[in-house]
Amino acid sequence: MRSGPLGTRTYLSRNAGKTVPLVAVIMLAAMLICSIVALMNSIPLSIRTIYRYTEESLVVGPRGDPTQTPRIVQKLNEEAPVKLDRIILCRVVSTVVHSIVGKWPFTVVGLEKDDMMYILKRQGITSWSGRLPDDGAAEAVISEPVARNLNLKIGSTLLGPDKDDGYSPHNVKVVGILHSDRWMMFTDVEYVRENHFPPLDVVLAFAPDLKQQHKLDLWADKAFKGDRAGVFTYEQLDRDTTQMFHILYKILDAVVAILVMVITIMMGMLINIHQSQRIVEFGLLQALGYTKKQLIYRVIGETTAVMALGWIFGLMASYVLLNILKRILMDPNAFALDVFDRMAYAYTIPIPFAILLVAIATVKQRFKRFDPVSVVERRLV
Amino acid sequence: MIIQARGASLTYNDHGKTVYACRDANVEVHPNEFLGILGPSGSGKSSLLYLLSGLKSATSGSIVVDGQSIGRMSDEDRSRLRLKIFGFIFQQPFLLGYLTALENVALAFSGPTDRDAAAKLLEHLHLGDKLDRLPHELSGGERQRVCVARALIGHPKVIFADEPTASLDHANGVQVVKLLNQHRGEGSLVMVTHDPSMLEGADRILRIEDGCVVEE
Repeated sequence: MRSGPLGTRTYLSRNAGKTVPLVAVIMLAAMLICSIVALMNSIPLSIRTIYRYTEESLVVGPRGDPTQTPRIVQKLNEEAPVKLDRIILCRVVSTVVHSIVGKWPFTVVGLEKDDMMYILKRQGITSWSGRLPDDGAAEAVISEPVARNLNLKIGSTLLGPDKDDGYSPHNVKVVGILHSDRWMMFTDVEYVRENHFPPLDVVLAFAPDLKQQHKLDLWADKAFKGDRAGVFTYEQLDRDTTQMFHILYKILDAVVAILVMVITIMMGMLINIHQSQRIVEFGLLQALGYTKKQLIYRVIGETTAVMALGWIFGLMASYVLLNILKRILMDPNAFALDVFDRMAYAYTIPIPFAILLVAIATVKQRFKRFDPVSVVERRLV
Repeated sequence: MIIQARGASLTYNDHGKTVYACRDANVEVHPNEFLGILGPSGSGKSSLLYLLSGLKSATSGSIVVDGQSIGRMSDEDRSRLRLKIFGFIFQQPFLLGYLTALENVALAFSGPTDRDAAAKLLEHLHLGDKLDRLPHELSGGERQRVCVARALIGHPKVIFADEPTASLDHANGVQVVKLLNQHRGEGSLVMVTHDPSMLEGADRILRIEDGCVVEE
């Protein structure tokens, strides 16, 4: 920024009463848009975060027919395009977790101890508080985000006869908390087999690594099409989430565009009023010998500085606000929110540019037929 | 001569009717002279000053400044010329409210700001203790003296003063004109006024009536 009597810094700092409100409006506009987009993004982010544990395996269910399970296993063993690291048969119990848009379905996976240890290893989990469920016992182990989300601790009831969202004929107590940011709930498979209906074994197929898992998932999607087998992959979830939010993002774009337009019109009016108040200054300077071009550049320089300051402060304020939201609202419930959401910050870029364009047009229009004599003769004062 | 006006007229349109603010003016401004332009209110004396200083373009006739016809100059070139070789004082002591007295003076400096020269000039105009005051902290007379300093700071070839005493009482008015005349150095002073007593030190006086120079 230029300093000196007619420098940008001098004008902005000595007219803080006029420039600070302009900066504040742009700051609030940027903060508003950034927060809306970040909160909107937190929904698909939450979906991806909550179900990320499925990234490590292909899930194939027998569509209500228990006799299909051995055939699914056989097909996987014989036709899979990659060498399978492990196939696990599990049983699942439905429950829910909380999200900012209500309850979402989740599963408590019933596993044998060996299989549970394998999955924990695959998920990179090496430590936990408490212990893992005993064979056949009404016990469960859950991960830290699940514990925060459902407000559970060791000794709490995860499933039970009184729980509409997570029914089980016996109270299934939490006996361990896994130290991980992945969302997981495991119980003993024998308990599920003895107490839950229908008697369906679901197949989990593990490739040696994520790259090969991706190849396996793509193959399964096609290989089981039309078959009596329901395939669930993280790949599918990711694709479905993107599609699901496609329309929502179009609506978001329209809302942001309207917001930018409203803010731009409002700022254009404010800038116009602000410039009207400076008519004596412009007239005097032009009468003294400053060219229109110099004055236009000066005003554009000041406006650019105001826009840039407002926008930068807006980004900073957004970051602070998102952190506060994350700390107060999201983290305690284990909701996902990216405080460095680049898309949210990028959505604020049109604000300074739109306002600057309007400001430049306003300034040029004002100076087009501006006559300094009308000021020094006090006809315009 | 520095400025020569030949048959210069300034007209404006008043609801379809052409009105002469200044008609066929033939005026010369010589180096180092004090030229007074005297006339009643609405006689066109300010319009003549605007023509001579390039603040307005002549509707007809020519104005030559330092050998250059300002009628052929672009708006931008006329502005540059004003900043470079002219100084201005207007009826009202127009100052930028957010700048100090010293900074307001520096505004009219076409080269790099010379703080010491501006401060020295303000001291000569008895404002040495008010360099860092903002305009609202100064009296009307003090504000006009800052305007005088602003007009003088660039050592202009011609200083145009348009009723510089109009917003002041008589004593302050006399003091402002006296200071202006004292400190203009080699520069000419063209002063418009309706008060003959303000032109006591003038080398020449032009009398204007209804837009025409009627007497020298």
